[in-house]
Amino acid sequence: MDVALKIWRVDEDGERNLVTYEVEAPEWACLLDVLDIIKDRHDGTLAYRKSCRMMICGSCGMRMDGRAILACKERMKPIVEAGHVPVISSMGNLPIVKDLVVDMGPFWQKVRDVKPWLDPGYDEPSERERIVSQQQMNVINKEALCIMCGCCVSECNAMESDPDFRGPAALAKGMRFVGDARDQTSVERLNELNDEHGIWDCTRCYFCNERCPKGVDPRDAIAKLGAESVKEGIDWDMGAKHANWFVTSAKTSGWLRETELVPKTQGILSALKETKFALALARRGKVPPPGPIHVAADVDEARKLYNLVKEQGRDGALGIVQGERGLARIEHVEAGGAHRDVPEITPGEEPPVAEG
Amino acid sequence: MYVPFLVEATHDVLVVGAGCAGMRAAIEAQDLGADVALLSKIHPVRSHSGAAEGGINAALGNASEDSPEEHAFDTVKGSDYLGDQDAIQILCDEAPGDVYQLEHWGAVFSRTEDGRIAQRPFGAAGAPRTAYAADITGHVLVHVLYEQVMKRDIPTYEEFFAWKLVIDDDRCQGVIAWDLLNGGLKTIGAKTVILCTGGAGRLYTGTTNAYACTGDGMAMALRAGVPLKDMEMMQFHPTTLAPSGVLITEGCRGEGAYLLNGDDERFLKNYAPNAMELASRDVISRAEQVEIDEGRGVGGNVLLDLRHLGAEKILERLHGTRELSMTFAGVDPINEPIPVRPGAHYHMGGVDTDHELGITELEGLYAAGECACVSVHGANRLGGNALMETITYGRRAGAAAAEWALTHTTVAVPPSAVSDAERELKTLLDRREGERPWQIRDELAKTMHENFGVFRRENQMKEQERIVGYLRERYERVVVDDKGEVFNNDLTQALELGFLLELAACMVVAGIERKESRGAHARPYDFPDRDDENYMKHTIVRWVGDHPVLDWKPVTMTKWTPQERKY
Repeated sequence: MDVALKIWRVDEDGERNLVTYEVEAPEWACLLDVLDIIKDRHDGTLAYRKSCRMMICGSCGMRMDGRAILACKERMKPIVEAGHVPVISSMGNLPIVKDLVVDMGPFWQKVRDVKPWLDPGYDEPSERERIVSQQQMNVINKEALCIMCGCCVSECNAMESDPDFRGPAALAKGMRFVGDARDQTSVERLNELNDEHGIWDCTRCYFCNERCPKGVDPRDAIAKLGAESVKEGIDWDMGAKHANWFVTSAKTSGWLRETELVPKTQGILSALKETKFALALARRGKVPPPGPIHVAADVDEARKLYNLVKEQGRDGALGIVQGERGLARIEHVEAGGAHRDVPEITPGEEPPVAEG
Repeated sequence: MYVPFLVEATHDVLVVGAGCAGMRAAIEAQDLGADVALLSKIHPVRSHSGAAEGGINAALGNASEDSPEEHAFDTVKGSDYLGDQDAIQILCDEAPGDVYQLEHWGAVFSRTEDGRIAQRPFGAAGAPRTAYAADITGHVLVHVLYEQVMKRDIPTYEEFFAWKLVIDDDRCQGVIAWDLLNGGLKTIGAKTVILCTGGAGRLYTGTTNAYACTGDGMAMALRAGVPLKDMEMMQFHPTTLAPSGVLITEGCRGEGAYLLNGDDERFLKNYAPNAMELASRDVISRAEQVEIDEGRGVGGNVLLDLRHLGAEKILERLHGTRELSMTFAGVDPINEPIPVRPGAHYHMGGVDTDHELGITELEGLYAAGECACVSVHGANRLGGNALMETITYGRRAGAAAAEWALTHTTVAVPPSAVSDAERELKTLLDRREGERPWQIRDELAKTMHENFGVFRRENQMKEQERIVGYLRERYERVVVDDKGEVFNNDLTQALELGFLLELAACMVVAGIERKESRGAHARPYDFPDRDDENYMKHTIVRWVGDHPVLDWKPVTMTKWTPQERKY
């Protein structure tokens, strides 16, 4: 088949050029195969990383039409058939070295910052393995799938505005240890991950979940870290206070009492600074009248739910509904295992402007 | 310590390659007090150890009664009696302790009902001995080892392409490498160098191996005068996806999957009636090839049927396999069988080392993992034994290198070593006209597959010897497009091809001279049987002048006498 690609070439001095390549490729080719054909036969100076070509080494993260992908995972045939010419560029949120190669140094620094090794609380291991149930290990099933390709970091909106944000990959790695029944430092870890550029700075855009090529669902990992933090009483961050107020409010009155949300989250003093804004809202009828507290008729239902979650021990990470893989499983079981679940590639109608 | 100005840094121990063997070696060396560094052409977690799927063998006895003794016997028999029995004994005795160590470091193993490390049956093993983490065991081990590397803050020369060993005073004293990110040749001095660079599957078109698996360490050792052992022994894995050879784990068959031919028949009943799908890899690959060659295949493949395992088990234990077959074959194994065929997978051969510590003939040079030939795998490796070897022998080589380095004091890199390398590189980069490497690379891989594959014929091997010679001549005029400094992997890929061509020459010469059928070396047309009287010995290949020279070395037998091998 004839494949056409537009590649954002970036040279050693940062000079950028969008170059179109048209090559002949076998029907089974994925994006990586096409890049290889270009490099071998047309332009040996094209730079990109590759190794395993089976979605496990994490080398070939890049962007296709502005979304992060693994080049070895993207089949070209449906794209060619749709008559689409994808734009290939390097991953976002990381400095470009050349063409499609980014500097992964900042990425790894953030991973290192979460102390990514098990702290078992002893120096001399026992003679045999520790006894841990499969159920306990399942807590970190998805986090352990991470191949550190950087696709989630490339897409992270929070990191775009705060380059110091710890980011989805490092936080998922953090959850991999917080959730590990064998680790003895969960509370210390949670305290650290609650810091200034930590879990509560995530904007919950869910791009990391959507773009992760391995189903790690980093946003779910961040949610689990939040839930574990609150469970452990680590609630000094405004993010945690905000979440806590939702629970308290629902438990006591069955509603979310929005007027109290700001002072409960930010504290009274800080909330007072917002007085002018609150008055402006009130003038436009957007603030419910203060007191008396309106209690919902069936508030008991909310309380029962709260108690049930507590009783089942689902007030921490276990209460976070699992994303993609969990859902795929439910879907499969519900469909009686009869559907053919081959992923399809739907190319975007108009290629978004690729970023450098 | 004498350090010439042109050396970037010096270390007690420099580990080249940062997969399971390399990282395990570095950890051990550092824990023993040596100043150690890792050097790898790709980031450690990108290493191809991470693509190992099925598991790691150790007689833990968690699934049924087992012992290191039984593990050793299965391995000796699996090797078709070419494995050195003293080495195999060491591996099997120390395997359980090494696996427990990985668990204590945090490896996310799958668990049994009673919370121990889960173990599954694997080919040619007398007990369920393969400890696993679903079907991503290698991935889990690479990451746990890298976690320990980060914990110890072991310096790592990332994206440094090792090209030459520095040899002075009959000692290996460092490595000359191309710095991919910044460009330029860099010299790293070291009292000891451990080669952990993995296999050379890229010699074949259909291979489970990554693009990075180009046999760099074997070729560097060869060029330094160190012999390679059993190079004709290339394992073909029975279940790889067409066309590129992506691996489908033996764990599928461990969990109970069937292999079917085009007539929907479990054809292994005609080849290995007792073990069926759990016979050894060489046996199954040959059976598949016969079915395909005799017209009972399905479009050049046979079928791996998982359907009867049920969705629940597939989703829980083989989700990676499902992901791979959906992405690369368009098949959901819950609903359809996966088309598979034999593909080049693992090099039993490699740098000749001693049976204990990865010591090579060259002082200061060690080797471990797939690039080494200890030999624990002989003529055919059992599934699950490769990861185990990387850990046990990685650790042992790390300890041996550290101990040597801590009792010797100097490193000397002769300026001529560096200037020679610079000159050679300049010649290559200055060449403006000639052939691009890809055609030579593709022809090499295609002809190796045709002429040096699952079955081997005398005339084809001789033809391949001629072809490799011809390709090596063409390689002399190869052209690198990229003349730049930054991320010039056009250059390193050309250098890799040079490595591959020399290794191919070694393999063919050893293959022609082994006039018998043993393990992966099958000659059904002229020498269909194993010949213990004449060939129960290792091939040894040295590079003399510009061609391989063959020699032999005895196999060490301790207590297992050769028997007929049946499954």
